[in-house]
Amino acid sequence: MSYPSEGTLRRAIAFAAALGIGVATYIAIAESGGGSPVCLAGGHGCATVAKSSYSHVGGVNIAIFGIVGYCLLLASAFFANDLARFGGFLVSLGGFGYSVFLTYIELFKIEAVCQWCVASAILMTILFLLSATRLIGFGGTAEALPDRA
Amino acid sequence: MTDAERRGRLLQFAAGAAFLALAVVLVLIVINASSGGDGGDTKLEGAAPVNQLLAGLPQKGMTLGDPKAPVELVEFGDLQCPVCAAYSEEILPSIIENQVNNGQVRIDFRNFTIISQESVPAGAAALAAGKQGRGWNFVELFYRNQGSEASGYADDDAFLESVARGAGVKNLAKWNAERAKLTPEVEKTTEEARSLGFDGTPSFAVKGPGAGGLEPIGTPRSLEDLEAALEAAE
Repeated sequence: MSYPSEGTLRRAIAFAAALGIGVATYIAIAESGGGSPVCLAGGHGCATVAKSSYSHVGGVNIAIFGIVGYCLLLASAFFANDLARFGGFLVSLGGFGYSVFLTYIELFKIEAVCQWCVASAILMTILFLLSATRLIGFGGTAEALPDRA
Repeated sequence: MTDAERRGRLLQFAAGAAFLALAVVLVLIVINASSGGDGGDTKLEGAAPVNQLLAGLPQKGMTLGDPKAPVELVEFGDLQCPVCAAYSEEILPSIIENQVNNGQVRIDFRNFTIISQESVPAGAAALAAGKQGRGWNFVELFYRNQGSEASGYADDDAFLESVARGAGVKNLAKWNAERAKLTPEVEKTTEEARSLGFDGTPSFAVKGPGAGGLEPIGTPRSLEDLEAALEAAE
């Protein structure tokens, strides 16, 4: 099976992680003063989700965990060794798993969908697929030379 | 260790981690699915102090206190209004604990929706809670859980239902059916507030032996000012 080059995967991971940092930072800032992200097209889901008990874990806004996760994924894209490949896979796996859980909560418990959370979940899913492809395709290989993109 | 061995080991770890993550997500979903909740699972703050403040006081419709109390204080408020919320937490508790509690004053909450259209269904939801004797619990709890003005939370069904639940509305189906019909009442009291010359919330009016009809007093700046207006109406 042929895979895209590791350089391509790393660039895609860096791009998606940077977008994720932007989304998660916006959510965290919007909710920091007791407000909520602005849903596009006038939807009300973001306010409902922000008000729900699921928006915080241990008193910390989950968007903060998102920022940390995306930063780690961004960092993993800068290195071409097994630690970065496996670490990136683990972080994206955790993020993807939690996104699945949160999407279930939005649909079936809170009964409201926040577009920003969906955007983050999509980015995390993409990052999980990229990181898994990277690990399966290049795990155990020698450290690559620096990219010359 | 050869590259092939290292690769095999890595992929084994990855498969194990993926299996573990899948199991954790499934367990979390099963735990949440069995813990109940139906959309009203929204965190609310201040339920305990609200219930404590209002415990034992009679409520009829949106009136708090003895219906025969000689002085009536009418609050024209908008549930989205942060100044109303501050007033409700800082000034009204003293009036409730003293003048309302000893039967001198009753307080009537009337909707004066000026922040945004979202205040109308929110106000109607409060009136529907009032039909079940929990109108003031609804208003006070709503105030303590306000979001940003006109951000969409105020007419969100899940939020309103969680406030109704937290306020102790017993028959949620009845509350839900009634609130849809109470919009005209909200519009009527908004008109009434305007006819009294009010242009901001909260605005107050008093009625009593010492006042001629419903007398507008605006927004007293302090507890002392409000108490003085109530005394003048006695």
